[in-house]
Amino acid sequence: MATIRIPEQKVILCGEYGVGKSSLFRRFTNNTFVTATDRKSTLGLDHYEKTYHVCDRDVKLQLWDTGGMERVASITSSYYKFAEAAILVFSLDNSSSFNALSQHLLDIVTYAESAKIFLCGNKSDLVSDLPQVTDSEIETFCEQCHNLISGIYKTSCKTTSGLDDMFTDIAFQLVHSNRSRLELQSMEKHGFKISPSEDSQDEESCLC
Amino acid sequence: MDEEYDAIVLGTGLKECILSGMLSVSGKKVLHVDRNKYYGGESASICPLEDLFTKFNAPNPDETYGRGRDWNVDLIPKFLMANGSLVKLLIHTGVTRYLEFKSVEGSYVYKGGKISKVPVDQKEALASDLMGMFEKRRFRNFLIYVQDFQDQDPRTWKDFDPNIANMQGLYDKFGLDRNTQDFTGHALALYRDDDYLNRPAIETINRIKLYSDSLARYGKSPYLYPMYGLGELPQGFARLSAIYGGTYMLDKAIDEIVFGEGGRVIGVRSGDEVAKCKQVFCDPSYVPDRVRKKGKVVRCICLMDHPIPNTKDALSTQIIIPQKQVNRNSDIYVSLVSHTHQVAAKGWFVAMVSTTVETENPEAEIKPGLDLLGPIRQKFVSVSDYYEPTDDGINSQLFISQSYDATSHFETTCQDVLDIFKRGTGEEFDFSKIKHELGDEEQ
Repeated sequence: MATIRIPEQKVILCGEYGVGKSSLFRRFTNNTFVTATDRKSTLGLDHYEKTYHVCDRDVKLQLWDTGGMERVASITSSYYKFAEAAILVFSLDNSSSFNALSQHLLDIVTYAESAKIFLCGNKSDLVSDLPQVTDSEIETFCEQCHNLISGIYKTSCKTTSGLDDMFTDIAFQLVHSNRSRLELQSMEKHGFKISPSEDSQDEESCLC
Repeated sequence: MDEEYDAIVLGTGLKECILSGMLSVSGKKVLHVDRNKYYGGESASICPLEDLFTKFNAPNPDETYGRGRDWNVDLIPKFLMANGSLVKLLIHTGVTRYLEFKSVEGSYVYKGGKISKVPVDQKEALASDLMGMFEKRRFRNFLIYVQDFQDQDPRTWKDFDPNIANMQGLYDKFGLDRNTQDFTGHALALYRDDDYLNRPAIETINRIKLYSDSLARYGKSPYLYPMYGLGELPQGFARLSAIYGGTYMLDKAIDEIVFGEGGRVIGVRSGDEVAKCKQVFCDPSYVPDRVRKKGKVVRCICLMDHPIPNTKDALSTQIIIPQKQVNRNSDIYVSLVSHTHQVAAKGWFVAMVSTTVETENPEAEIKPGLDLLGPIRQKFVSVSDYYEPTDDGINSQLFISQSYDATSHFETTCQDVLDIFKRGTGEEFDFSKIKHELGDEEQ
């Protein structure tokens, strides 16, 4: 049976340890939330795909989490490869996670050159009257990175506030910017994935 | 670091990363440490190009080399057999989802100073310029025999017991001459020396089948190469390990492997910290007193601005120079990858010539390979010792991998890994243990 292939867009999560990347991932994957760091809840889970319908087109966001590699080591450069978008996450109640963004931004620009970058201030539920990271600081940061940032969002994984809007907007922006590129993307430039041999046998039998 | 683990893995080379991934997937609590700041150890791909020049004490590359970031140069050249063990491991562990591959365009063999395409099916055998007319027919009959050969069906053995009779016997049965034996054993069965002639023919038959089955998978050649270089492979397995709960530490010096009663390993010390564990897995560089030198490998990285002559401008190639052709005891391997694999700037090619060292002058030994390449813009020669562990690790629970050999593919690499896994866990690796979680497949 022929199926229409919906283009997948690899979206990676970046940012300091503890800002809520896995919480974002968990919400995206199975819409749950846990307060304590609980590796078990995402153990073995590599990435997750969801289809969004924007501008009369289907687009599949494939969200990748770091697997906690950034806790003591660094993330492998291959994590960034083939990424179409990167969500740069910081915690609104933690200014040092905001100050560390430039290093993560540098990694994205270095290893995932073509990725669109989105800024996500997480844990908006924890922000008191005196925010640790102010709107003007965020604006200044975006100006400093020469408009590399394609979108700014505030989210809370605890209350789910802002999450849907963020992912839908990212899907929207990817469809727009990639429309021409997706169609031009030829096998010439890209390699192929290897798959179990049953597949290739199928193909052969079709040729007979 | 001060915690207790089931296993501590030292070094993030390909073998250690595969082991780390397999152990994590099997439910073990794994700590994976590397003294370097980067993943991959010897199996890393060097990026940017400036780092490669620095590594070999050469002045920085000029602007003709393009952007340094566009280069990912392997230190150890190898290709994947499309139907080989590494591909099976990649598929079963799901690590294939992190990688994209390209088929290597050409597979050549050297004869009498020239290179020819490796003939693998009857049609190619008859068209090949490697043999005379009568020899071609004999070789064709031999290929048909191998193709039809079934392990389980003695009728296909044609009055020849390949489990007992040796390979020389099978060559003689088909009347194949020395030359044909040479490229069959070295370019199809991919043996490094001629010891196989005296071993049961079944081994060689299976290797030729691996070659032709691999060729059938994706066409042009039986070899695959990952986009962005071989350094992507260890990283993929490292991610697998992390996804299954493995903890990663880079840039961490290891000062001591701590042993307890009966010489069993009980932990690993770095500075004042000791991580406890039941087992340690590592590469030879972490335990110089527990490995012995087995030999030397010479490798030469060549940066070029053109493909290899007489290969139809292939953007990727392998050439095998069988030992006898150049009066040696081990083959010389030439491999070529290029900008199409995102391992070099546009218009650039990276060739590698390697072999097992047999003389006091290793650089002269690879000359027949270098001579095939045409003008070389930059050359980096390295000679590295090849180590193997002095014991099997069963008593100490310290399992040491062998250094990477001169072979041009990953079959021996995987064999070593699966063997270590079996010694370490007492069981064969169970590929079915890997859960295919949601997200892997659709729905």
